Amino acid sequence: MDTLQFLMDGFAVALTPTNLLFALFGAFIGTLIGALPGLGPANGVAILIPLAFTLGLPPETAMILLTSVYAGAMYGGRISSILLNIPGDEPAMMTCLDGYPMAQKGKAAEALAMSAIASFAGSLIGTIGLILLAPVLARFALTFGPAEYFALFMLAFATLGGITGKNPMKTVVAATIGIMISTVGIDIATGTQRYTFGVLKLYEGIDFILAIVGLFAISELLFFIEERAGAGRKMIKVGKLMLRPKEILAAVPTMFRGGILGFIAGVLPGAGASLGSFISYTMEKQYLGKKAHFGDGDPRGVAAPEAGNNGAASGALVPMLTLGVPGSGTTAVLLAMLISLNITPGPLMFTQNADIVWGVIAALLIGNVLLLLLNIPLVGFFVKLLSVPPMYLLPIVTMVAFVGIYSISHSAFDLYFMIAFGVAGYVLRKLEIPMVPIILGMLLGPEMEKNLGHALVISDGEWSILWASPLALGLWIVAGLGLILPYIIGPILRRRMNNAMKESPTSD
Amino acid sequence: MTARGDRILGIGLLVLAVAYGWVAQGWPEPFGGAETVGPETFPTLLAVVLGLSSVYLILKPDPDTKWPMGRTGAEILLSIVILALYAFLLEPLGFVISTTLAVSALCWRMGARPVSAFLTGLISAVVVFVLFNYALELSLPAGLLEFE
Repeated sequence: MDTLQFLMDGFAVALTPTNLLFALFGAFIGTLIGALPGLGPANGVAILIPLAFTLGLPPETAMILLTSVYAGAMYGGRISSILLNIPGDEPAMMTCLDGYPMAQKGKAAEALAMSAIASFAGSLIGTIGLILLAPVLARFALTFGPAEYFALFMLAFATLGGITGKNPMKTVVAATIGIMISTVGIDIATGTQRYTFGVLKLYEGIDFILAIVGLFAISELLFFIEERAGAGRKMIKVGKLMLRPKEILAAVPTMFRGGILGFIAGVLPGAGASLGSFISYTMEKQYLGKKAHFGDGDPRGVAAPEAGNNGAASGALVPMLTLGVPGSGTTAVLLAMLISLNITPGPLMFTQNADIVWGVIAALLIGNVLLLLLNIPLVGFFVKLLSVPPMYLLPIVTMVAFVGIYSISHSAFDLYFMIAFGVAGYVLRKLEIPMVPIILGMLLGPEMEKNLGHALVISDGEWSILWASPLALGLWIVAGLGLILPYIIGPILRRRMNNAMKESPTSD
Repeated sequence: MTARGDRILGIGLLVLAVAYGWVAQGWPEPFGGAETVGPETFPTLLAVVLGLSSVYLILKPDPDTKWPMGRTGAEILLSIVILALYAFLLEPLGFVISTTLAVSALCWRMGARPVSAFLTGLISAVVVFVLFNYALELSLPAGLLEFE
C-alpha cells in the first residue's frame, strides 16, 4: 500500500511540534473566521496568505496553516446559522433550517454540539475519500497532454459559476478579465513586454495576492458600510449542554450519508459545498420521511447539511491537489498560496512535493480532531466573539489586510493597488460579476497560455489539436454543458432551494 | 431604463476588449522570427472572447441592482478616501499613528461611538505593532514615533 506509506510520512510531517501548533492556531482562527459575520472562508484565507509569507514559513507549514483555517471556517459557519439564523457562509445556509428552530426551543447548545460532531464526521469521510481518490486521479492526470490541460482549464471556468449560478455569461466575463490581468508583464516565452506601458512596477506582472485581498477584504468592508450592518444583531442565549449519547447515535447514519453525498458534490466540478449541504439535507429529509420532523428543529436536520458541507470541503481539495484546478473560491485561494510558494500544482505534485501533499492531508485529519476538541468546550467563547459588532471588527480586519500586504513588499504603491482592486471588486460585485473566476483567471492564465502554446507547437499551428483526443473532446463537452445547464436546470434548483427555505416556518 | 448597469459595463468592457486586442497587434516580432504562437496569440483570443461576451451583456442585460446614492454613497466614498489616506500616511506618520486614525475613523463611520472607536483604533494599532515588531520581528514603520 503506497498510499498508506505516504500517509504515514504525511503524519510525520504534520505531527512535528511547529506544524501541530500552526494547525491548532489555524483551526482556531478558522473557526473564528467562519463564525464572524462578513468574513467568509475565502476572505479569511486570503488575508492570512500575506502573513504566512512574511513569517517566512516553510511551504508545508504554510499549507498546513491555511488548510486548517479552511477546515475551521467550515466548522465556524454553522455557529451564526444556529444562533442568528444568518449563515456565516453560503454552505451553512441549510443548517439554519433546523438549527435555528432548535436554538429557539432552548436547545442551542445541543444544536451546536450536534453540528460539531456532524462536521467532524463529514470531514472525516471526505478526507478518507480524498486519500483514496486523489492518488488515482493524479496518476490518471499524468496522461494529460497540453491540449487536455487547456480543455480542463476551460472546464474549470465553465463550471465555476455552479449549476445554481445566475448568469453564466458573467462568469465568462469575470474569468476573461482575470486572465487578461495575468497577461500583464513580461511574456515568459518570448520576453515581449505586454501591457506594461513602461511602468517598471508592472514588468513582473500584477501580484495576485494584492488582487485577492483587495477583491475580498476591501470590497467586503464597502458592502458593510453600504448596508449599514455595523451594529450586528441580537442572538439567542446558549444554555447548558444536555446532549444524550442516544441522540448522537441516532444521527450517525445521517452523518454517514451526508458526508458521502457531500464529498461527491465537492469533487464534481461546479457543485461545491453549497450544493453538497443542500443535497444532503433534502435527500435525508426524503429518506427519513415521516420518521423525522425536519424544519422543526430535528437534530438530524442539523447533522445532515453539516456533514454534507464538510464532506464537500474535503472533496473540493481533490481537483485542486491533483489537477491544479480548484472548484471553489477558497480552494482557489489555497492554490494562490501554492503558486506563490513556487510549487506547480497538478499531478506531479504527488511525486515531486509528496511531503507537502501528504502533510496537508494528514493535517486535515489532525485538524479535524483538533476542531472537534476545540469546538465543544470553546463554543461559549466563539459565541462571545460573535457578539462583537462588525463596526469594530471590519476596520480591524481591513487593517490586518493592510499590514499583511505592506509587509510583503514594504511599498505603499501595493496598498494603492489593493484599494483599487477593492473598489473595482465592489463595483463588479454590485453588477453581479463573480469574484472567484477573476482570481482563478489570474492564477490559471499563465498555465493556460503555456499549454495552448505547447499544444500548437506540437501540432504545428493546427488549432484542431485542442479537441483532437477523445479525452479533450469530452472535457470540452462537459465545459459546454457547464455553461448551458445553468440556463435550464438553474432556475428549477434555485426555486427548490428557496422553497425549502420558505417551508421552514421560522426563516424570514 | 432598468438595465443601465449591465449596458454601461458591457460598453466599457467592449472598449477594453478592443483596446486590449489592438495593443497586442502592435508588438514587435520576437527575436528569431515569428512562430505559430507569438506573444499576441493568447491576448487576441481573450480580446475576442471578452468582446463577444460584452456584446451579449449589452443586448441582454440583467435588471439593475440598487446603487447607493446620497448619504450612503458619500459614506462609501469617504471610506475609500480614508483607506487611500491610510496608505499614503503609513510611512510618513508611522504605523501606530496612522492606524489609530484610520481604524478609529472607519469604526466611527460604521456607527461606533467616537470614544470607543478611538480606543479600538489605538489598542489594535499598538497590539499589532508590538506583535509584529517584537514577537514576529517584522518591521512596521515607526514614523514620527521613531526614537533612535
